[in-house]
Amino acid sequence: MFDPALVEQLRDAIGSHKVLTSLEDRIAYSYDGTFAQNLPDVALLPESTAEVAAVVRIAAGGRVPVVPRGMASGLAAASIPFGGGIALSLTRMNRILELDEENCTVRVEAGIVTADLQAEVEKRGLFYPPDPSSNRHSTIGGNIACNAGGPRCLKYGVTGDYVLGLTVVLPDGQVLQTGGKAIKNVVGYDLNRLFVGSEGTLGVITEALLKLVARPQSVRTARAEFPSLDDASRTVNAVLSAGIVPATLELMDETAIACIEEAMHLGLPLDVEAMLIVEADGSDEEAVVREIEAVARICRENGARQVSVARDEAERNALWRARRSVSPSLARKAPNKLGEDITVPRSAIPEAIRRIKAISARYGLPIVVFGHAGDGNLHPNILFDKQDPEQWAKVEPMVEEIFGVALALGGTLSGEHGVGTLKQPYMERALGPLSLEIQWRIKRALDPLNIMNPGKVLPDE
Amino acid sequence: MTHNPSQDEYRRCIRCGLCLAVCPLYRLSLNETDSPRARVALLRAVREGLVEQPTASTAARFFGCMLCGSCAFACPSGVTVDRILELTRGEMAGQGLMPQALGALGERIAGTHNISGEPNESRLMWAANLPAPPTGVGKKQAEVVYFVGCVSALFPRSYPVAQSFVQVLERAGVDYGLLGGEEWCCGYPLAINGELERARETMRHNVEAVRALGARTLVTTCPSCFHFWKHTYPVALGGYSPPLPGEGPGERSSPPLPGEGPGERFPPPLPGEGPGERLSFAVQHTTEFIADLLEAGRLPLREDLPEQVVTYHDPCDLGRKGGVFDAPRRILARIPGIQLVEMPENREGSYCCGGGGNLESFDPELSKAVAARRVRQAAETGAGVILSACQQCERTLASAARAGRVRVRVKDIVEIVLEAVVV
Repeated sequence: MFDPALVEQLRDAIGSHKVLTSLEDRIAYSYDGTFAQNLPDVALLPESTAEVAAVVRIAAGGRVPVVPRGMASGLAAASIPFGGGIALSLTRMNRILELDEENCTVRVEAGIVTADLQAEVEKRGLFYPPDPSSNRHSTIGGNIACNAGGPRCLKYGVTGDYVLGLTVVLPDGQVLQTGGKAIKNVVGYDLNRLFVGSEGTLGVITEALLKLVARPQSVRTARAEFPSLDDASRTVNAVLSAGIVPATLELMDETAIACIEEAMHLGLPLDVEAMLIVEADGSDEEAVVREIEAVARICRENGARQVSVARDEAERNALWRARRSVSPSLARKAPNKLGEDITVPRSAIPEAIRRIKAISARYGLPIVVFGHAGDGNLHPNILFDKQDPEQWAKVEPMVEEIFGVALALGGTLSGEHGVGTLKQPYMERALGPLSLEIQWRIKRALDPLNIMNPGKVLPDE
Repeated sequence: MTHNPSQDEYRRCIRCGLCLAVCPLYRLSLNETDSPRARVALLRAVREGLVEQPTASTAARFFGCMLCGSCAFACPSGVTVDRILELTRGEMAGQGLMPQALGALGERIAGTHNISGEPNESRLMWAANLPAPPTGVGKKQAEVVYFVGCVSALFPRSYPVAQSFVQVLERAGVDYGLLGGEEWCCGYPLAINGELERARETMRHNVEAVRALGARTLVTTCPSCFHFWKHTYPVALGGYSPPLPGEGPGERSSPPLPGEGPGERFPPPLPGEGPGERLSFAVQHTTEFIADLLEAGRLPLREDLPEQVVTYHDPCDLGRKGGVFDAPRRILARIPGIQLVEMPENREGSYCCGGGGNLESFDPELSKAVAARRVRQAAETGAGVILSACQQCERTLASAARAGRVRVRVKDIVEIVLEAVVV
């Protein structure tokens, strides 16, 4: 049980109004975007790096867990306080500290909503490309801690590729600065990369210095309808092998299409097995148009029944709104879903999809497949009803088989959601004992008291 | 405690967090506790026993929301959070957990038939200073009943809404009647407080009063009266019958079709009640009524009107919940000299003025902060005038503009119509 004296210390350190202890508040900080849940003892809303440092020092003194979180939209249970302790919300640290147009960098606090940051830099003709579907309800800090991806990562790379520097509160309360504005920097180990994807287990990211690029002047988005899922997945490689790197190359299967259509009424085809959404962007409008036309031709040659290019911004937005809604709209099909985000080398996409659909047929539970096919990152979602013991019993073996498919084809467990607790049981199979041992050594070196988001990422030794 | 099955919609929440992006309260406080997702999680905790016995602190979470419906509109799983909260408020009230300020409001309405507590006979005070007495007073028979609503009838600050609308009616030669002291509170504040029996009593009275004039159309200037009259009256007054095919909760759980308001698809029946009798008259909001008058050529407009840049604030109860987005814009398109610039958060995505869901009675500071943000959004468009079609929005926005020293005027669209009409 949480020592009431610690609560008093926390109140003195950051102010009572930022220390939430009622049952109602604790319930609000007990979940994320998964079905897992556990109450923290206290939820905190610090407003500066200094306050975060003060909190972590108190936690270290009292040996209580600190679980950092942004908007808790995570899909791996990484921000759930399973051991109780402190739920540390960074959402009120949401300022842009410096936008350096000459060097194309922006320094932000960790709690800024990713879409807000994007809108702000786009006003100046700049661009922050990583675009997780949750960009309106997730924070930069969370994106960095999970190394979030998104459709545009095919061409532009993932969140970690844009991190130039970080401010991190270490598990003993010291404040570490990593990196800087210099693009090339090989002095010492790359500590930026150490904290990217660390899911709050090594420290609390409170500020980030991010790289920006020029905003593409021109964008074209096409939607290709495929009567055969197999043809659609083969087309992904046909496009990429033709030397075209579109900004995005997204695939969704018939169940995903049906769910969106039911939710959003966009007039999507309900009689095809798959759809690709391909977007080309760049500074030269003619080149962009040529690229999307080439993509359309390749789609047709590979079995697309119809390819249509969005006529205006409204049509394009509707398509992307649809794509971003796939995952949540699956709730219409079944009371529960478990979404994975395996990655495979892209040449293996058709085979991966075939094997996943076979798992679905064998167990008799639907698996919806959609995702960022262009970079080999797929989101197979198992649909089920947790109340039905027979269905619930099938879920874990199915997950295990899906991971088996990814690993057998040279891929891995997660492309962008992270490990949290949900993927821990499969870590050793994916990484081997030596890699895990080294990761544990790093964890122990930085967090000897094991208070930073304990029990996440690394499975018990 | 029994509860309405549609409250069980909370089970559909998958906690994705999409609602956080659109919730005016969460976006201000940046505290998950104030998010729609947390309110749904709390209801789940009550149902599933994690909260063993709800307390005042639990109930406060269900009452401290504007019921603006942004979250329901954004929810990909079709959870109608605002409706769930209305029902849960009733449940909390039944357990004696209604916040004091709201309890006093219910007593006042039950005692005086209006929200202000004034004698109900004073409902026509606003008509005293007009150039000519309204012809609608004291009628025994009328084609149209203008249901003024408590705020425009009893709060002098909002008199201009009613005053402008009756003058528009006079100029268009509409045969209309006013109910005066026979108009009672529409019942909406009671229903969202969970006081359903009291709501039903006032609703029955109002329907009889409108029928007594033989009216074919009821028009309201107040979007909340409109939403409640249009969507709840027909359902609540008929006694319980099972939902008709295509009208049940299953349908309600999907977001509206393009061009179709969520109000149409999310009728908020009172607990234990399904669709009931039909009203014997149509229900329209003033914006719809005036747009029709203009398009039928019954309201000639002046040509010598000044150029002005305006923005339009969609009231939650008229837009997202009532499904009326185009009528006000149809009106503005017809008035010479008006240039409409939209705020980025408009129509279905409109940001609440802060005045919804009785929040003002419950947490005035929070309500003011929401209004201040909306006024800033309006000012950023460069418009000199914020138009709305709701006396409540106008009051909260005008107060916020004054408090924040923002140089923008706030008016009802009816006022601007009156200024434009040929005398």
